Amino acid sequence: MENLLVWSLILIPWLSALGIFLLRKHLAAVFLTAFNLLVLTALSLYLWFNGNFPVTLQTPKFLDWIITIYDYGLLFYFLKQGWEHKNKAVSLLAVIQLILLTWALLIMPHSDIGNLYIDKLSVFMYLIVATVGSLITLFATRYMQDEDPSREAEFVAILVWFLGVMNFAVSVNNIEWFFALFETTTLASYLLIRFRRDEISFKNALLALWMNQIGGIAILLALLFAVHKYGITHFTQLLQHKEVALFPLAFLSAAALVKGAQMPFHRWLLGAMVAPTPVSAILHSATMVKIAPYLILRLSPVLQNTLLAKLLIIYTGFVFVVTALLALNEVHFKRILAYSTISLLALMMLAGAVGTPLAITVALMLIAFHALAKALLFLEAGVMEKLYKAKTIYDMKHLINKAPVTVFFILVGFLSMTMVPFAMFVAKWLLISEMAQLLSKASYIITVGILALGGAILTVLYLKILGIAINRDEETFKVKLEKQPFLYAFPNTVYVALILLATLLISPVLAHLFAPITADIVNQAPNFATDTLDVVVDNLRLPFWQIVIAFFFVVVFPIIAHFIHFKADRAPEYTCGEPLKVQISTYNMVCLEKAYPYLEMVALALFVLVLIIGGGML
Amino acid sequence: MKTLLLVLAILAPLLGGVIYGLERKVKARMQNRMGPPILQPFYDFFKLADKRPLQVHSFHSLMGIAFFLAAWFAVFSLMVGPNLLVAIFLHVLALLFITAGGFSVKSPYSVMGALRELAHILAAEPILVFAVVGLYLASGSWNVIDILHSEPPPLLKMPLVFAVLLLTLPILLKKSPFDISEAHQEIIGGWEIEFSGIYYEAVYTAKWLEYIFVYFIIFLFGGANYLLGLGLVLLAFLFVALIDNSTTRLTIHHMVKFSLGVLLPLAAFNVFWVALWGH
Repeated sequence: MENLLVWSLILIPWLSALGIFLLRKHLAAVFLTAFNLLVLTALSLYLWFNGNFPVTLQTPKFLDWIITIYDYGLLFYFLKQGWEHKNKAVSLLAVIQLILLTWALLIMPHSDIGNLYIDKLSVFMYLIVATVGSLITLFATRYMQDEDPSREAEFVAILVWFLGVMNFAVSVNNIEWFFALFETTTLASYLLIRFRRDEISFKNALLALWMNQIGGIAILLALLFAVHKYGITHFTQLLQHKEVALFPLAFLSAAALVKGAQMPFHRWLLGAMVAPTPVSAILHSATMVKIAPYLILRLSPVLQNTLLAKLLIIYTGFVFVVTALLALNEVHFKRILAYSTISLLALMMLAGAVGTPLAITVALMLIAFHALAKALLFLEAGVMEKLYKAKTIYDMKHLINKAPVTVFFILVGFLSMTMVPFAMFVAKWLLISEMAQLLSKASYIITVGILALGGAILTVLYLKILGIAINRDEETFKVKLEKQPFLYAFPNTVYVALILLATLLISPVLAHLFAPITADIVNQAPNFATDTLDVVVDNLRLPFWQIVIAFFFVVVFPIIAHFIHFKADRAPEYTCGEPLKVQISTYNMVCLEKAYPYLEMVALALFVLVLIIGGGML
Repeated sequence: MKTLLLVLAILAPLLGGVIYGLERKVKARMQNRMGPPILQPFYDFFKLADKRPLQVHSFHSLMGIAFFLAAWFAVFSLMVGPNLLVAIFLHVLALLFITAGGFSVKSPYSVMGALRELAHILAAEPILVFAVVGLYLASGSWNVIDILHSEPPPLLKMPLVFAVLLLTLPILLKKSPFDISEAHQEIIGGWEIEFSGIYYEAVYTAKWLEYIFVYFIIFLFGGANYLLGLGLVLLAFLFVALIDNSTTRLTIHHMVKFSLGVLLPLAAFNVFWVALWGH
């Protein structure tokens, strides 16, 4: 039964993509994306409640051949792209991958282990792809109508096809198959970043292509070592091996770091922001880059407590703080969101590397709620781009006058990432508390400082942007809710509703969704109290009354503040009596530009340390 | 103990007013003048409540009121709530409101004040987190009741953290040399400028609540020794007043560099020390 469901989750998006591409009609695209949303969510939920996990599934022999042939085809396509666009890095890396792949295939032993491995973590990722991902594809149908209707079918088809790829990638057990799917996500990035077909799009697509290929090479090197030294070809073998194989773990982690655009590989993600907004949403924040923390979580049972894990913690902690800082200097809204994404991905991987049950739960919470929040924010970026012509934060000035609902959704998106009582705050709070009690490990105490500092920086960043949007010059007696096309409003409303609902019900969500997944990954779950709406675990307690009151302050109050009008006389703003023309702007941390090359160097040095020392090469 | 804390939390604005009034008296005496009566903040309250209500727009006034209510909620959670760390983040929530209020009007001074307030948040909140983590490591619990029963007092294990918190008080309470978000001579009160009458009272009272919030954390460093706790609060009180009267204002660059470059590493060092060798 699991076999049928998993293959449906992979093939239904692929068939829908084919249908969208062939039918070439807007209505067909809307229907098929909505169909995907319903069917994929239903199948994932059914699998969650009725599946027996974990389970290893066998696949037919011919599939091995198909994937190998596909691998070569893909790498030759990359080589061709490098050749056509005269990009040496792309071509060289593709050649290296071809050599390494051939070598790996030559020495690969025959194995009877199932090539698919499904546990609750996989189903969790299916759910995220099904809800967050499908809603983005639904949004994309309307978005392309406003951008370029003649290419709508092509665009939406690639996005929907990608959902199937994502589902496949979180189901595989075979490391070579994982390599194939990893490079397929790179292909998806490449095709979609260059979609607008202007010079900057091609440049950034090639940048993404060669940087991600480094990740592919890392996986191949890990595979080669694992096969050569231990005869390991599957993840389950890697996780059960009696001695910890640091070298493959380090290189798989490196692949995750590259896919997660950690410094110094962050440039590809920032460059990817030139693509249409649904691409940024689905690939580069909500779904594809989640492969990075997913991979770390897969490896976490053996990663925990190794030197590699400690180095990863230091490295991702550094990236978390530095990318949050760098975001303070950006003015382009999507670039700010990109830096924020990289920052939080670093945090997810940090939590995964710590590896205790509570830390794993934290990583899962961050994955889920970051996906929701960033999808919301990127789709709002798309709405602002198309309806209000706002791309930089300065264009967002006084947006509250024109678009109060959009500003409110952006407020929920941003504040859900840092403020009490939202789930991501609960995650950070749990992580700080957990780190403070792991006394004997210095790298864990560093995490407290990193979390405190990074959290403060991100809060400042989000408030800075919200501040510009809510600036207004007069009382609004009639609040005009802006009209948006249904396909723009619907996905965003669903995201906001899910975030708000999950926030109030965070205790049952923790006990019944996240704890079981943690149990599947590390065989032990934190004991969240199930009989109360307070968040209770070990000696930590967040009472429900605090959640509710904070919820009222952060969510309800900004809404009702629009509708309450005091009977008071109006006084103009104080400008020393001068008739000044006031123009509102904001701080930018320009001093960071000087520090940027040094920060990149330190990040590169830390990355190399992770590989060499963490990989046990010394 | 619990009921005492609950009563304290409910009466926090009143207690805060008294502390604020005492501070004005102490400040005045340091400057060799008489100073206002100790209950002056309450006289101010009645005066402000009497004034003709003027506002820029209702959203702005509401943000001021929200600042007051959220600050009270933060103090309440600090004294009554089971987790100290959550209370720190509720404090950030309160500051969120006044920052939003500052941003929401087309007043250059207000927006400048709000931006500078963000620098205050950046400088002070990590220190507060470390202070609370320090209290946890010294007493073994995040619960304020346990910390108030902890022997020996957390001060003994966390002297550097306490010193760092002491030096952060000017940043948190907007006192010279770090009264940057108010900076009367530079930005005419910052985000306070556009509030008047009863709405200004809300913001004014919220500032009193900040005092209670911060001094209560100082008090916790005394642990079960309440006399020591009161002594620390008195020390902090006089220290802040002294520094306020004898320094000039610095810039936000100084503030953030000092806080994150000097104070945070010192606090981290203390926490490291206790974590690795203090058991």
